[in-house]
Amino acid sequence: MPADPNMKILVVDDMSTMRRIVKNIMKQLGFPNVDEAENGKDALDKLKAESFGFVISDWNMPVMTGIELLRAIRADDKLKALPVLMVTAEAQKENLVEAIQAGVSNYIVKPFTAEVLQEKMNKIFK
Amino acid sequence: MLNGNVKLYAELGELARYLDSAMKKIAEVGAPMVANGAQLPQAAAHLLDLNKMTEDGTLEVMRLAELIQDNRARAAKELAAVVSTLEAVDCRTLATRLGKTAQELALDDKHLMDIMTALSFQDLVAQRVKKLVTIVEDVHCKLLELVVVFGLKQEGTAPETQGKADEMLKQLEASKSTAIKQELADELLSEFGFK
Repeated sequence: MPADPNMKILVVDDMSTMRRIVKNIMKQLGFPNVDEAENGKDALDKLKAESFGFVISDWNMPVMTGIELLRAIRADDKLKALPVLMVTAEAQKENLVEAIQAGVSNYIVKPFTAEVLQEKMNKIFK
Repeated sequence: MLNGNVKLYAELGELARYLDSAMKKIAEVGAPMVANGAQLPQAAAHLLDLNKMTEDGTLEVMRLAELIQDNRARAAKELAAVVSTLEAVDCRTLATRLGKTAQELALDDKHLMDIMTALSFQDLVAQRVKKLVTIVEDVHCKLLELVVVFGLKQEGTAPETQGKADEMLKQLEASKSTAIKQELADELLSEFGFK
């Protein structure tokens, strides 16, 4: 199913610069409805309080990491079907395997381009 | 038996002297090391300053890129409206040329986006700096353990530091307090007759 341009997207990253970059790319790709969270815990609270259609998360964050957030999402009956894209500097094979085992929808290694993000979104929402 | 005891005392004496000499050597080598180690929290703070500086710079570039994106979006809208008007009044050649110009300008939208995504270097730098800070803090903890175990710190005396590390740290500290803003530079320049 193609991505709904009105869907609410949650960008999770402890770095304000990265949140802004991803938010801007999403806007340029035609998804203006983007909210932000600083860490996994903050994100999980938002996901439980509101309805989101897509999560883009970093891996390394304080309080609750991206992989912990992903596991929490997949363990929650209401959230488990939510597509989660990891955008991270963790470029080791083991990280990717761990993310796949945890149920990630796709994986982007930083630094990345808008084209890569679009390509991954197209794969997730095909 | 007596001979055995004498030999044992002699061996113990030798061991005690060896331990004493080893402790003195550790103190000799360890004291300056610990003194230099005292600079580590400052060095870590400077590393974290780097994160703040690159973050501020990145956000400013992003703010400007976003302003340009918004202006360009408005200009593209205006151009499209002019093209429609020209087509309506049958100025097809001019409309085509304007349309082409608009297409060429649209190419810059991608360049702006590339500038934005290239700024993700700041996140990668910040993550590495954070890891370095963790290492520095860990080394500092280990040095403090040395101080406790070997009693290397002398009470009441300020740690004496020397060498390149100390000099660099002093320069970094100085750059915080002595760096002047352009207004002050202009003021000084005007005092020296620069108009």
